[in-house]
Amino acid sequence: MIELRGIVKRYGRLVALDHVDLSIAEGERIVIIGPSGSGKTTLLRTINFLETIDEGEILFDGRPAGYRQDRKGRLVLEKQRVICALRSQIGMVFQHFHLFPHMTVLENVMEGPVTVKRTPREEARALALDLIGKVGLMDKKDVYPAFLSGGQKQRVAIARALAMRPRLMLFDEPTSALDPELVGEVFTAIKALAAEGMTMVIVTHQMGFAREMADRVIFMDNARFIYEGSPVEVFSGEMANPRVKAFLESVL
Amino acid sequence: MRGRPWVAALTLGLSIIVAAVPLMGADSPGTPDGYALLAEASRLVQEERLAEAVAVLRKIPAPAPGEDAGLFVRSRIDAAKILLGLGDLDGASASCHEVLALLPSNLEAKNLLNEIRDARTPRWVKFLRDMKTYLPTLLRATGMTLLLVLATMLISPVAGLAIALGRISRMRVVSGVFWCYIWVFRGTPLLLQLFFIYYGLPSLGVTLEPLTAAILGLGLNYSAYLAEIIRGAIESIDAGQMEAAKALGMTYWQAMRRIIIPQTYRRLVPPVGNEFIALIKDTALVSTIAMVELMRAANQIYSATFNVFILFQAAIVYLVLTSFFTVAFRRLEDALGVYEIR
Repeated sequence: MIELRGIVKRYGRLVALDHVDLSIAEGERIVIIGPSGSGKTTLLRTINFLETIDEGEILFDGRPAGYRQDRKGRLVLEKQRVICALRSQIGMVFQHFHLFPHMTVLENVMEGPVTVKRTPREEARALALDLIGKVGLMDKKDVYPAFLSGGQKQRVAIARALAMRPRLMLFDEPTSALDPELVGEVFTAIKALAAEGMTMVIVTHQMGFAREMADRVIFMDNARFIYEGSPVEVFSGEMANPRVKAFLESVL
Repeated sequence: MRGRPWVAALTLGLSIIVAAVPLMGADSPGTPDGYALLAEASRLVQEERLAEAVAVLRKIPAPAPGEDAGLFVRSRIDAAKILLGLGDLDGASASCHEVLALLPSNLEAKNLLNEIRDARTPRWVKFLRDMKTYLPTLLRATGMTLLLVLATMLISPVAGLAIALGRISRMRVVSGVFWCYIWVFRGTPLLLQLFFIYYGLPSLGVTLEPLTAAILGLGLNYSAYLAEIIRGAIESIDAGQMEAAKALGMTYWQAMRRIIIPQTYRRLVPPVGNEFIALIKDTALVSTIAMVELMRAANQIYSATFNVFILFQAAIVYLVLTSFFTVAFRRLEDALGVYEIR
């Protein structure tokens, strides 16, 4: 569905992504793990163009998407209209939720369809209520985000992203900002989504969750993929790669 | 008149001459005594022995029927003037009535009586009388001040938002132009800007009505201030909000309009309210470009009446206006903060 080829991202002299290749197939669930600063989040953000890349290409359904070359051969982002159309196919859930604080739960979830897709309000409302019900927050639909717990906020954020009916969901450390007792409810929501066959890329530090969710686990370090494999291979305790092994021992 | 004996002395001296001239030629036998008494009184006044002067004047007798009344009238009018100056209002009044009993239509006596009545009136009564006279002027002027305030309150937030958005534009030229605008209008006195618009523009071929010039000047100036406040508010919104909006597929302007700008409203109320309070007082500056607003009207009335209370009155009107807006902004802030925990 989406393919990243030879992606390079630099911040000045710092290399955040160093020739990374990633192919995401329909229905696949990819979990990216690795130490802080290894480029996991940056990689996730390049997929929906929140970060621009310096080299490489991104393909949607086999066709290059989102970038063109200027006269000097540098990559520049396509026109806003094109980027917005691509982004609207991809849902993203942030570590710090970023709910819209001036809107109720219902309004947050309706906002994407109404403003971006120009969905009629009644239709958007029905869709939003359905999604709010699915994440178990029907009783909070008219509440402002400030009055919700972290877990509830993140579930609203998931519903908000799903309201755009995305083909792919990106989760950027969805439980890292939560109190431990609230992590479970967010995982439950993500698992329910997985059960429906949603394609997703998840960055997480929760190894148990990674093991349970992933079709494929990618271990990143120093802006590169160090290891790719099935969860069984990664978590079986017989990891041959010493860096991955050291990391897993430090977090488990 | 009180405390100004020299005025009485002067008028007395003059009136002796005026009264004496036509009588000098007239050969009336009973009068030389009268002249002597007038001269005596004049001397006493010059020596500031005013009470004695009055006593001397009173010695001039009422004229017999058919006799010339000039000397008697002079003496009683002069006595009244001296008594008024001394603060003996009853005495002065009685002296005037002596004249009126003889010559009921004597203008000088009547005017003096008016003056005496005025001196009897308490200050607060005079103040109320002035107030009644000038209240319509003051009200009209207050209306003008209010009009200036409301017009600027409507114009400056809208223009300020446009300038703020221009200022944060990534296009260097656009951002530079609006930077210059803010630099000029925040960096020079409002008074100078008003002068330039009203007195300076005509030499460039643009002549404006005072009201137009006043609203334009206040609007341009306050837009610059509000633009900086609005820019600060926009930049204070968490960057994650813009990212979340973009991740949904929103354009920059959709995100601004739906997500970023609405979140600035509550944050804007306190600083913008502050500016508007300053605005109410700054409208006084347009009195310099031929606008009759509260400050100008109060000044004019003060010049006409020398009544300091009119200035207090203007101060009270300003206080009422500022208090009203202070409370209104407080309420607005609360109303806009429903989505926050307090």
